[in-house]
Parts: sequence; structure tokens; C-alpha cells
Amino acid sequence: MGVFKAILNGIGTTARKPRITVILYAANLVFALLVALPVLALIQAELGHSLLGTSVRPVDLMWIGEAVLKHGESLAAIVAGFAGAGLAYFVLQIFLYGGTVGRIIDREGPARLGAFAGDSGRYFWRFVRLFLISVVFLALTLGAIMGLVSAIFEPLSKAAVTEWVPLILSNAHFLIALLLLSIVHMVIDYTRIAVVADEERRVLKALRHALTFLKTRFFRAWSIYLLIVAATVAGSVIFYVLLGRLAAPTVAAAVAAFLWMQAYVFFRVWIRTLFVAAQSEYYRAHPY
Amino acid sequence: MKGRAARSGLILGAALALLAAAVPSAGQNQAPPAAFGSGLRYEIWVELDATGKMLAGKEEIVWTNSTKDTVRDMLLHLYWNAFKNEDSIFFKEEAGESLFGRGAGPEEGEWGWIDVTDIRMADGTDLKPSFEYVLPDGPGTAGDQTVARVVFPVPVEPGESAHLRIEFRSKIPRTVARSGYYRNSFFLGQWYPKPGVYEEGKGWNCHAYHLNSEFFADFADFVVHITVPRGFVVGSSGKAADSRTDESAGTTTTTFRQAMVHDFAWMADPRYLRIERDFVASKEVTPQEYEEAAKLLGLTADEVRLPDVKMILLIAPEHKGQIDRHFRALRAAIKYYGLWYGPYPYETVTMVDPPFRTQSGGMEYPTLFTAGTRVLTSPHELEPEGVIVHEFGHGYWYGLTATNEFEAAWLDEGFNTYSTGLVLAKAYGPGAIPFVFKGIPLDWFLRVPKVFDFETNRVAAIHTVRFDPVTAWSWKFYNRGSYAANVYMRAATLLGTLEGWLGEPAWPRIMRTYHMRYRFGHPTEADFIGVVNEIAGKDLTWFFRELVGGTKPFDYGVSGLASVEIPVHSLGVFDADGSRREWTAKTIEEARAAAGSGTGGAPPPMYRTTFVLNRYGDARLGGDAKVEALIRFKDGSTETRAWDGQDRWIRMEIVKPVPAVSVQIDPRGIWLIDENLANNSRGTNGLRLNASKLMTQFLFTVQLILHFFGSWS
Repeated sequence: MGVFKAILNGIGTTARKPRITVILYAANLVFALLVALPVLALIQAELGHSLLGTSVRPVDLMWIGEAVLKHGESLAAIVAGFAGAGLAYFVLQIFLYGGTVGRIIDREGPARLGAFAGDSGRYFWRFVRLFLISVVFLALTLGAIMGLVSAIFEPLSKAAVTEWVPLILSNAHFLIALLLLSIVHMVIDYTRIAVVADEERRVLKALRHALTFLKTRFFRAWSIYLLIVAATVAGSVIFYVLLGRLAAPTVAAAVAAFLWMQAYVFFRVWIRTLFVAAQSEYYRAHPY
Repeated sequence: MKGRAARSGLILGAALALLAAAVPSAGQNQAPPAAFGSGLRYEIWVELDATGKMLAGKEEIVWTNSTKDTVRDMLLHLYWNAFKNEDSIFFKEEAGESLFGRGAGPEEGEWGWIDVTDIRMADGTDLKPSFEYVLPDGPGTAGDQTVARVVFPVPVEPGESAHLRIEFRSKIPRTVARSGYYRNSFFLGQWYPKPGVYEEGKGWNCHAYHLNSEFFADFADFVVHITVPRGFVVGSSGKAADSRTDESAGTTTTTFRQAMVHDFAWMADPRYLRIERDFVASKEVTPQEYEEAAKLLGLTADEVRLPDVKMILLIAPEHKGQIDRHFRALRAAIKYYGLWYGPYPYETVTMVDPPFRTQSGGMEYPTLFTAGTRVLTSPHELEPEGVIVHEFGHGYWYGLTATNEFEAAWLDEGFNTYSTGLVLAKAYGPGAIPFVFKGIPLDWFLRVPKVFDFETNRVAAIHTVRFDPVTAWSWKFYNRGSYAANVYMRAATLLGTLEGWLGEPAWPRIMRTYHMRYRFGHPTEADFIGVVNEIAGKDLTWFFRELVGGTKPFDYGVSGLASVEIPVHSLGVFDADGSRREWTAKTIEEARAAAGSGTGGAPPPMYRTTFVLNRYGDARLGGDAKVEALIRFKDGSTETRAWDGQDRWIRMEIVKPVPAVSVQIDPRGIWLIDENLANNSRGTNGLRLNASKLMTQFLFTVQLILHFFGSWS
């Protein structure tokens, strides 16, 4: 199967099973509402009755400055709350990933909530173990390779005569880190798919499957990954360009902007399911 | 300031027109011309050893005692000894800074120092035997060698001069505090032995080099002969008089001259580009602009006319594409500082793009300053414009009104931060916040918010008011962050507040008068207050005592607003006409209906509007300043009320046939220093469009952050 075919089939799969994206989006929205509620209440309390509420800008340094001054003592609690919520959401996502991969791999099966939740529960602990392994894998890969890159770049940067050299090296360093990260991410994606598609209980064995699979078709697999990343970037650009045009000070524009933002979040969630769907298509088309 | 000025401008317009005639015009006490003849003269010969990173210098100083004191000694700054070892006050204070330090000190072989190898009177009398390092800032500063003392063989009587000859040798530090080298690039500030300022009745004002302090020196005439390896490009304070190359030695010596300046800095780099352009006043300033400035300041058009100035830029080749950008900013600065505060009095101004890794950017010296840019910039960010305007502006606030930066740093940094904001707003409008990642401006990809300087200044101001008074001595602030935020930003915010309060034409005339009256002098806070009171025509000392010299937060607000319909009769039992009657809700309603069935219909309902104004902060208004409250009613009408703001709160009441919709204090946006603008108003309805947009945006941001977190699962 070619790269584009895998992506197109992936798109087809997500289109046939929109409920997966809807479930993931709903989880994101509900969780975000819970997390954001204290701050939303604070904004309403501060600005709901103040005339400043009619002129405050989206990033209003003057107001942000005084809000931080007033609520500085709560800031640590708010940040801790966000961090805790982020962690909880992270665990929730591991759980939901089981349902996502499970329902996508089961091509003919339903994507109803019950089946989704069943898969989420079934693969949860395997995916937790896989996450822990991925952390080690990531640390080793990034640590070793980026350490080597730094050892090469640092003397060059220190000896620089103009700022171009450190600028280029610093960006090259960052780009290499990103590409490495994408590779590790992709390997873990295929491992998850292997866990579900091969009903593999031992995640290390699934990881070996994934690595074996990628050994002979690494660049095509990576192309799928990077093309979807490129689509995400393109979608983001379109989103921000259009969002800028919804800045009129009217209720209609405000509502349209809100809906557009939610459409973008939905798009990002869908992209996530597309990663799974396209890579699953590719994996299943090439039995090893 | 532009936005605030526009808001208040309409309201104030008519009143100001009437006031203009009553406000004194800006003083034109023209200070001495920029000609040689100061009470202090330097001639310095200095040679750069680029390989050994050394300076070798000879210096002649003629100091005239212009006081009534008999002066027996002289205190000299030897600033580079601050970089000699960890016992200097500079590095001791640096070690105490956990959050706002300058970073790591010099590494092996990178320390800097200055040795006075010979010092004698012009007649040959050796002063070295009396040479000693002294600790003007107390015994706690032991080990510091940044101030030295020599005793004159014969005391210098009033009107007499002392003529000293000094030889010195310096090791150039790997840059610390904007002086030093990186590879073959050199930036050299505070590099020569320099006398302190002798104050009549007080003695020498000559502080040690502190981490947070800048400098203080007397106006002088300089002749400086700089010798560098052939091929080096040199930029310096003053004007290049002549240049000659010694082929055998492989060096070039350039002589620079400048009268009436109080410091002299220079740079050398073999890679640099040197570009000269002219500020041609007739092209930069229109007749209408002269006319407007003259009218505002109460002067004639000739009195505000600007001279031409030679602009010199020394720039790294990799920044060549930004040459026009640098000159545009400098032209704007010369124009507006000149129009507002007084014409630039020197022939040249040299703008130095700081050499790579010399960390010498963003610093002022008379007739020379360092800017600072990156190879990748955004057209929407005001960088390097902000730093160019600011550092040129120091030519006024520090260069010409040479306040004591050790003891009253706000008088130059605060005034100049305030002025920078005005020039940037006038010439460019708001600038994008410079978000940079890995040297790349994020503004290239994202819609980065734009802000005016006064907004960022206010944020810093309200966060630091509790730490220190603006007027603290430089090294006595709580930490480096408090020093910077108070001296630069809070001071600028307070000046912005005065601007809003006093308005035109008083405020611009105050600033002009203060500058011109004390040009080529060493004014103090008292001098500024004197000018403010004189031009404003009232005593504003309370403002400086309470807000500039204090640490009390300033916050007035509105805590309640209610408009209630007044019933035609009160509830309860009333005696009238010899009988007793109980009024109930039902009987009141019946009475109202009966009144309405008459020929004139029901009388219009009356509403009692009550609101509470509060003083949440500890700082109080003083003098004739009042909290102004604007009450808006449903029919579009308005009422205003004033409160002296002395108590913690006041409840006010208005009875009108229409309910109120909002109450707002400080509707003209004068009190920029108020730390809580959100509580300055209160409306009766509780949902605001922009606040709602803010909420949806925040929710969206949380969603994306969560999604990002989740994508790593």
C-alpha cells in the first residue's frame, strides 16, 4: 500500500466511524470546561459588571497584570490545579486511546460508546505499560542522539564570529529533536496498533513487531506521519487566518469565532484519529 | 499614551484652550553652548592591544574648583576594578542576586582591572604616595577598589585649578556590564580614571561601582587620541578631528573632541560598517509641526527650531539590511526629543550596533549610544527601534540633565522610559510583543498582540510598588528586579499619571522648562518638583511624597450600584391631619393608580441611585485632586460627583426620574497608577461582550493545552 492510499483509506475509516472523533472531542470539551471553570468564574466576577469588560482585549496586558496581582496568592493553586488536571487528562487519553485503536482496527465493528469503552478498558494497562516503556525509549534515543548533536554543535557555536552560526545551529538542534521525537512517536503508534491488531499482551513483543515492521519500510511510514503533520499545520494556518477575520465587536462575530474555535479543536481531535487510522491501514496492508 | 491622550483630549479640549493663556510658557533658560571651556578638561592618549586585551593610557585632567570650599584631595572612579575579583562590591552584590543576576562572572583569564601606574601634578609632584583605595559607601564594602583618593600637595582654593597627569594600564574584561571584548570586538565604557563630582559643602560625590548603579560625573571638555591596530573601525563619543596611520607600528590613531559632556566611550571592531547620514531638520519637521510645538510650549517658532545633526551608525555586516531601520528610529528620536524638550546641542550622534557577544547593547554615553538588534527581526516589533529611541533619549535625560544615577536613578531612567514610550507611540504606534523562539520572531507565524509602552510599564509598576520607593538609591533596592521596575517603569507610569492629570499645556511646558533650565547641570528631585509646582500653579509635593517616594498601593474603586424606584409613599403607620393611617403595599399601589387616573396621568416614577466609592489602596489623593465619578443613566444623561478620597469609602445618592446604568470613576483615564482598573466602574447588567470573548478564548486555550498533553499519552 502506498503512502497516499494509506492516508486516504484512513480518512475513509474516520469518516465511517465519526463517533470515535465525537467521543474524543466531547471528552476534551467536558474536561476543559471543568478545568477552566474557576478561571471563567473569575473573569465573570472581575469583568462581568465592569465597563472594562466591554473593552478588554484577548491578550490585555493591563488587565492580566492586575488580575495576577489580585489573585497572585491563588496562582500557585491554579497552576497546580492545571497540572493535576493535565495529568488526569493524560491518563484519560491513555484510556481513550484503547477505544480509538480498538474501534479503528475492528473495521466492521461498531463504534458505539459501549464498544469503545470496552476496548478502552481492555487495552488500558497494556497502553500504560507501553507509555512507561516509551518514556525510557524516548530518553535513551533523544538523550544519546541529542547529546551527540550537542557535542558537535557546542564548540562550533562557542567559536562563532557572528550570530548566524549559533542561530542556525540552535534551530538545527531543535529540528533534529523534533524529527527524532516524531520517529519515537511513530514507533509507539505502531506498537499500539500491533498490540491491538495482533492481540499482543506483551508490549515489548509488540514493540519488537513494530520495529521489525518499520525496519523495511521506515521512510514510507515516516512519510505518512509527516504528511499528516503537514496537514495539521496547513489546517492550523487556515484556522488562524479565518479567526482573525472574526474579530468584529459584535455578538454574531463572537459566536462565530467560538464555533470556529470548536471546529478547530474537532479538527485536531480528528487528526489524532487519522494518525491511528492511516497507520493502521498501512500496518495491516503489510503483514510481516 | 497615544490612546489615553486621545480619550482625554476631547474632554479636555475646551478647558485647555482656556487654560493655555494662564499657564506659564516653557522656560528657555538656554544653557551654555556646546563649546570648550568647562571647569573640567581631559586629554587622553589610549592604545588598544587587541591581542593582549589591554589598554595603555595617559591622561591629563584639569579640574577647576568652582565652589567656595578649599579642596584638599580628589576622589577618582576606577570602575574597571569592579571586574577585578569577587571582592568588588559589584560581584558581591551580584552574588546576592538569586533571580535577577547578570549571570556568570568572568572565567579564568577574563577578569578586568585598571591600575594607576603613575599620578602626579603637572609640576611633577608625585601623588602616588598618597594614593589609596577608599570605601565611600561604608566599611561593609571592604575589598572594593573602584574608588581611589589622592591628596593635593597644596589645597585647591576656590577658583583655582588642579592639573593632574595620570598613566594607567588596564586589562579589558571579557564583557561584564557592557564593557569588554569578545574575540576582536571591543566596547569600552568607564575605561579611564575619572574624578567624582565635587559638591559644595559636602565634598566629593564619588560612589563605588554597584551592580545596579550607573554613573555620575561633571561636564567636561574631552580630547581623546585613540590608537588601534590598523584596519579596526572605531566609533567614539564626540567628533573625529583627525586620523593618522603609523605604518611601521601598524596602528591608526584618531583624535576625537567633544565639549560639555560628562563621559566618553568608544568601540573598535575590524569587521564593522560605518555609515553617516544627516538629520536635516527642514526635511524632518514641517512648519506646521514647529508651529504646533511652539503654541503648545508658549514659545516662538524660532525657539523650538531644531538644528541639523550628523548621524553616525556603526553596524555589524550581518545587520546591514537594518541600516534604514536604525536611522529612521534615530531621526524620530532627534525630532521629538528636540521638539518637546529642546534642540539636540551637539554636532554628532553615534549609534553603535553592539558587537556580537560583547553584551554592550542598550547603553547610553554622551553623544554615543549602543542599540541592539538580531539578524532576524519582525517589522511589527519595535526592536531595535525601542532601544534606539531610549538610548538616544538618555542624551537628554542623563546626558544633558546630568542627574545623579547613583542616588536618583529615576530622574534619568524613569523620565527617559516615559519619553521613549511617547516617541514610539507618536512615530510607530503600538509594537508587537517580541516573542522570540530560537532567534526567530513568532510574529512571523502568529498574530502577536501589540502594546504601547505605557501598558507594560504599568504592569511592572503595580507589581513593585510595595517593595521600594522609586526614589531609593540604586543599590538599596530590594533586588535588581525592584530596581528596574521601580526606577524605569513605575517612575514612567507616575509621570504618565501626572501627564494625564495636568494635561496640556501645563505638562509639556513643565517637561520643557525642567529640561532647559537644568541642561548642562545636575538637577535633583527637588528641582523637578519646583518646576512642576511653578508651572502647574499649585503645590503637588504630596504627589511625590505619597506616590513617588512611598510604597503605598494606589487603588480607588466602585463597590456598589443600585437604582431603586421610589414608592409614592413609604410603608408603615403615619399620622396626618389628626388621624393615623397604615400604608401597605396594596394601599400604595391603589394610591398610584388613583394618581394615574387623573387628568395629568401618573407622575413619572423617581429612582434613587446609590453607589459606593472606595479607597482600597493605602495611598491617598492630596491637594486639590479628587476622585471623579461619572454616573450614566438609562436615557443617556450623565451626572458627575467628586470625592476627596481621604476616607476608606463614601456612599453617594442621586434621585432622578431614570435609573442609572453605570458608575465609573476616573472616566478620563488619568490615574494610570491605579492598580485595579477593573473595579473603577460598575454596571447594572452583568455580561459584557469582550469578557465573554475572553472566556471562550480561555476555554479554547485550555482545550488545546489538554489536547497537547493528551497527544503524548
